[in-house]
Amino acid sequence: MTLDLSLSTQQSLSTRQSLDLLPTRPRSLETVDKSNRLKSTSLGGKMVAEYWDNIFTAKERGKHVVWYNGTALNPIFQAAGLEWCHGEAFSARLAAMHLEGPAQQAGEEYGYIGELCSYARTHLGCAVMTQKGITEKQSGIVGMVDQDELASKLPSPDFFVNAYAGCSTGQQWDAMTYRVFGKDFPIFNVSLPMIWGNKKDSGYLRGTEWEKTPLYVEEQLKKLIEFIEYQTKRPFDWGALSENMSYIKRASELRLEAMALCAAAPTPATYWDWVASIAPINFLPANQMLVDYFQAVKDEITQRIVDNVSAVQNERYRVYFDGIMNWNKLGFLTRKFAEYDVAVVAGRYTHDSFWQEPQLIDLDRPLLGMAQHYLICPINHGLKIMEELLIKRCDEFGIDGIAFHSTRTCRAMTNPQHILARTAERDRGIKTFSFEGDVADASFYKDESLESGLVAMLESIDQQRAKV
Amino acid sequence: MDELDSAAFSVLEAIASNPMGYAADWKRRAGRPVVGSFPMNFPSEIVHAAGALPVIVQESRTPITEGRSLLPEFYCSYTRSVADQAAVGELDVFDAFVLADHCVQLLGAADVIRWAKPETPMHFAQFISSMDDPWSGAQVRDKVASLRVEVEEILDVTIAPEALSASIRAFNKNRHLLRQFYELRKTGRLRVSASQLQVLVKSSMVMEINEHNELLEGLLAGLDPHSHAPDSLVRLHLSGHFCAPPRPELLDLIEECGVLVVNDDLYHGTRYISTDVPEEGDPFDALATWYLDRNISAPCGTRVQRNVDWDTYLVDSLESSGADGVITLMAKFCEPLMLYYPELRKALDTRDIPVLLIETEHEGLAAESVRTRVETFVERIRRQKLKVPSLA
Ligand code: SF4
Ligand code: SF4
Repeated sequence: MTLDLSLSTQQSLSTRQSLDLLPTRPRSLETVDKSNRLKSTSLGGKMVAEYWDNIFTAKERGKHVVWYNGTALNPIFQAAGLEWCHGEAFSARLAAMHLEGPAQQAGEEYGYIGELCSYARTHLGCAVMTQKGITEKQSGIVGMVDQDELASKLPSPDFFVNAYAGCSTGQQWDAMTYRVFGKDFPIFNVSLPMIWGNKKDSGYLRGTEWEKTPLYVEEQLKKLIEFIEYQTKRPFDWGALSENMSYIKRASELRLEAMALCAAAPTPATYWDWVASIAPINFLPANQMLVDYFQAVKDEITQRIVDNVSAVQNERYRVYFDGIMNWNKLGFLTRKFAEYDVAVVAGRYTHDSFWQEPQLIDLDRPLLGMAQHYLICPINHGLKIMEELLIKRCDEFGIDGIAFHSTRTCRAMTNPQHILARTAERDRGIKTFSFEGDVADASFYKDESLESGLVAMLESIDQQRAKV
Repeated sequence: MDELDSAAFSVLEAIASNPMGYAADWKRRAGRPVVGSFPMNFPSEIVHAAGALPVIVQESRTPITEGRSLLPEFYCSYTRSVADQAAVGELDVFDAFVLADHCVQLLGAADVIRWAKPETPMHFAQFISSMDDPWSGAQVRDKVASLRVEVEEILDVTIAPEALSASIRAFNKNRHLLRQFYELRKTGRLRVSASQLQVLVKSSMVMEINEHNELLEGLLAGLDPHSHAPDSLVRLHLSGHFCAPPRPELLDLIEECGVLVVNDDLYHGTRYISTDVPEEGDPFDALATWYLDRNISAPCGTRVQRNVDWDTYLVDSLESSGADGVITLMAKFCEPLMLYYPELRKALDTRDIPVLLIETEHEGLAAESVRTRVETFVERIRRQKLKVPSLA
């Protein structure tokens, strides 16, 4: 069935169904799963698994391997015929599969302290294991590394590229990975300045700072391509880069259109579905499969609206999620919020990242649009722009409350949270709460801080509604 | 005499412990603005040349109150303290803020200042942190140029190159004078504690530089360095601790355990005074050169550079000072240090150089447990030194 795929946010808002606004109910002793995740995203899981399996055999296939962190440089790597290993993505994968232990232990033995960014420490642990694997091969002494561990399966890099926006740890982390490998493989740094937003004319995608900075980054990307040409001894395929970006542009448009459909109440999909779709948009190969994936996601959402199927049974609260994902707890959090009739509709990590402004991508000048996207990473803005984006999203999705994931080892994501909470309350009367957890270290998660904070926030929303 | 003159020293000590009081007093005396900057790479010379008082904002000793609800508890003590100072009005003396360093936690604190004091200008001249790229020099020059425009605009002045050259000379002189104290300590000819040296450096970060130079010159003139430290003391190097000074009582406690601190790479120490600004050529370009040179003379974990290593620098400085071991002081939650520490430890372990890691916090000092650890460490070094060399 063909449906109108161009539902704007405005239209969806007007198609909102009324919500059951009874006050917070006591939970039944037996908790049933009231979440209803999209089925189409399971294909993404399969695509991601295949992608990593493929990476693990890169060396046998005689491919050049690049390790990189931060922004999505993969369309460039793909055009250059490289195999790419994204540091955070692999750490997230290990954490989501609850297989992060061996890598974190290897990192700890090497000397990394538990308060260090857990993405970095997990990935550095993988680097330590991979490096030991190299030493084993060279020395002929096997057994130092358990080759069955997923964490030890990354192919060793031929070179590193770092392009980390917003967070200084991102750049320093790769500088250390470079040293863990004894500086044996070259590293290329792309420097991404903050969009500080201090000038009178500054704002999201506007002002002189915004106009100037991407040009500086674009020039560095050209140098990166020269570096890759030197490493691979092959001329870069500019046509392939444009083609890759055309797939990304289309996939991104579909993703945003599908996200906009979730302005409907009750929402047909939640933040957790968008979390499940991060890997495809962030680092999977740019091709027709990627486009088809987001087409399928959008189709399913559209169909849900037609069939009046909601993502959370009895949606009564619409919540925005601020913070990086807690990968150890994805399924758990999905059920937990739904249990309280909360639909987590949107979030900074999903909605303000990952090729979120596809109109900036010009296929005739792909590097500029890429540079612009690298700079609008949601941790690369000063406070003023963050406030602007938060309020915009709250308005778009009819948000009642905000859950701040106080991510213990990711200071970049937690940086402005306390102030953002005050802004949301001041400007829109939106209630908020904060809970403790982490990106890839389960030990920092505090169930009681989530539970009590969430209940308290829902009660204040109830009181607010009762007054109205 | 081989010790610091107590009268002159106490002036500096008083200012180091109350920088805001000094700044307010200076402002009254001079009738000119005070500009706050942040560690660890801001070229204060440019603010000085504009006729204002450049002050590197320090961690305050007061307990964190309001700041608790503005920055999470898992931030380093310096940034939490800065956020708190902004919230409780301790930063009100400043007419503007400027910074050049990109540390994610520092930017969090800077955002709190922007939020708490929206009327006070805050310029971020983000100096590139990747130091050896082909475009690094041009980027820093560009940022110095924008910094100049911004400072001129905020203070409503024009910075003449001659004025900047004069400021550069004054700051170079200051670093030179401070280095003399460090050199005298290293050679054992001056009995000066680590906490006293910290006072000299910290006061230079907050005082009018010519005033500071005069006091330093007075102190140096009163010295007659001749003595040698007793051989029984274990010679140590203090490493790490970015942005904020370690508590003086911690430094004293370390030295009470039979330790002679002979050198350091602390920000409130050698790192701060490591590099002079070139006095020839264009003075604005010279500031960019200084920034790039600094990471060569004292490599830092907050910068990335392929061709220099903090670990190599550390090992080399141990050789020159004859230190027997290293105490790494780490402000809890300081990520660049957490990231670099294993490389430092690896380099030291390989050479059999003992290293002890001590974490510091804003909230206090677990004195007895630190004392026990330092004493054990010192004992280990003593035993190691006593080991009979193998005949083989
Ligand atoms: S602290 Fe957060 S933003 Fe920074 S490197 Fe780690 S995960 Fe990335
Ligand atoms: S470098 Fe370390 S001490 Fe300095 S602001 Fe950053 S985290 Fe804090």
